[in-house]
Amino acid sequence: MRRVAVTGVGAVSACGLGAEALWRATLEGRSGVREVLFPAMRRQQVTRAAKLPEGLLASLMEGSKPRFQDPVSVLALAAAREAVEQAGLGPDDFGSRCAVVWGTGFGGAPTLNAGYHQFISDPGGRFDPMTVPKVMANAPASWIGMAYGATGPTYCISTACASATQAIGLGTQLIRGGLADRCIVGGAESPLVDAQFQAWESLHVMSATECRPFSAGRDGMMLGEGAGVVVLESAEAARERGAHPLAEVAGYGATSDAADLLRPDVAGAAACMRQALADAGIEPSAIGYVNAHGTGTVANDMTEAEAIRSAFGPASERLLVSSTKPVHGHALGAAGALEFIVTLFALREQTAPPTLNFTAADPRVGIEPVPHRPRIFSAEAALTNSFAFGGVNASLVLTQA
Amino acid sequence: MTSSSTADRDAITASLFDIVAEEAMVDRSAIRPEALLEELGVKSADFVMILMAVEEKFGVYLSVDEELAEAKTVRDLTDIVVTRIQEHRARAGA
Repeated sequence: MRRVAVTGVGAVSACGLGAEALWRATLEGRSGVREVLFPAMRRQQVTRAAKLPEGLLASLMEGSKPRFQDPVSVLALAAAREAVEQAGLGPDDFGSRCAVVWGTGFGGAPTLNAGYHQFISDPGGRFDPMTVPKVMANAPASWIGMAYGATGPTYCISTACASATQAIGLGTQLIRGGLADRCIVGGAESPLVDAQFQAWESLHVMSATECRPFSAGRDGMMLGEGAGVVVLESAEAARERGAHPLAEVAGYGATSDAADLLRPDVAGAAACMRQALADAGIEPSAIGYVNAHGTGTVANDMTEAEAIRSAFGPASERLLVSSTKPVHGHALGAAGALEFIVTLFALREQTAPPTLNFTAADPRVGIEPVPHRPRIFSAEAALTNSFAFGGVNASLVLTQA
Repeated sequence: MTSSSTADRDAITASLFDIVAEEAMVDRSAIRPEALLEELGVKSADFVMILMAVEEKFGVYLSVDEELAEAKTVRDLTDIVVTRIQEHRARAGA
């Protein structure tokens, strides 16, 4: 089976522009959570989210085609630019052997939101004729393909919060199976618009206080936004062009609970991690760090902790686990890509970033994450989890290149 | 606890029983304090609807936090919600 190397990463998030900015913020515990107010919401109860820094989206939109591109595509392209540049790919490295596999939960939510506002407030007025091509979930994938001339297959995965992790997993499988030599993979999400924020608020899973994963007193998640891109290549393709792999994607697990639409399931999540470990051909003890899905909701964190104990067995006692969502927020369809990048840096620097806002252990969780400050470890592999509404589970194992 | 706050508590609790009946589509007569939520068929989606109605009626936003997630009986649920509503009112009045 062909090995899969990571040769470039790129990110746009509440921590700013760049994968390095994302990693530094998670490592140093600088949260990108800020006040987010929507005048159209008459009764806004949750007023904070991990929003892009002021002015960043506007500056990225300047170099874009705003009449054709929703912000979600602009974020995807900005992250892709960074990843492709780091990978050192040239014009001849794309073509029919390069695929794009992209994750998003809601696609062009800002354009859809604006369209509904327009339709209701001025039904006879001029409607944005580009609404459909801006909103469609595959728009970011297609813009990336067009930007680089990737003429291999384009796939778009929309499995809510597991989208980007599954995109990275599917890209890995395409390369392993010889269907592509190179894949641009990742995910993007722009959920911070009023009606969508209202929808999240109505589900009562967002915290009106702080996101404190695995902690006693946790009361919900914090939304985020952004894009993460990963350049995957077969190890031979990377070697042939003299590229330096940052890490390898060694294992992918994907399972479905087929149980409850909203409530996570221990068995499904545990089976997913086991599958990723088996796929990588490594023992649980080889994993030094787990970047948890760790949303900060009661249900996720309890389920995920139990699933980790089940999948890792005795090795779970020495395992470092953290959730970096209090820093970059829960970026939904982009979450898996942002967290993959954090996990990659953690593995390369052998340092687990901390879980912010942790106050005290919850005895029912039974796992104490790395709190407050980073912690060093020594291991050849790390794992990252994404669990989605709909009962969709995805885990990736990274190993040192 | 003063008699007025006890009366207040009872009034809110009665109104919460109505909300649980309405939002979780449970027969109002089956809702007794000791009734198990699971036996009444109150599921995760019903919780969301109940919290939405509480927010509309009492103006207090409650996410599904640890305590709420642990509620087993109707009384567990209403005790937590009533306390939160009273805390909210105390803050708003302060």
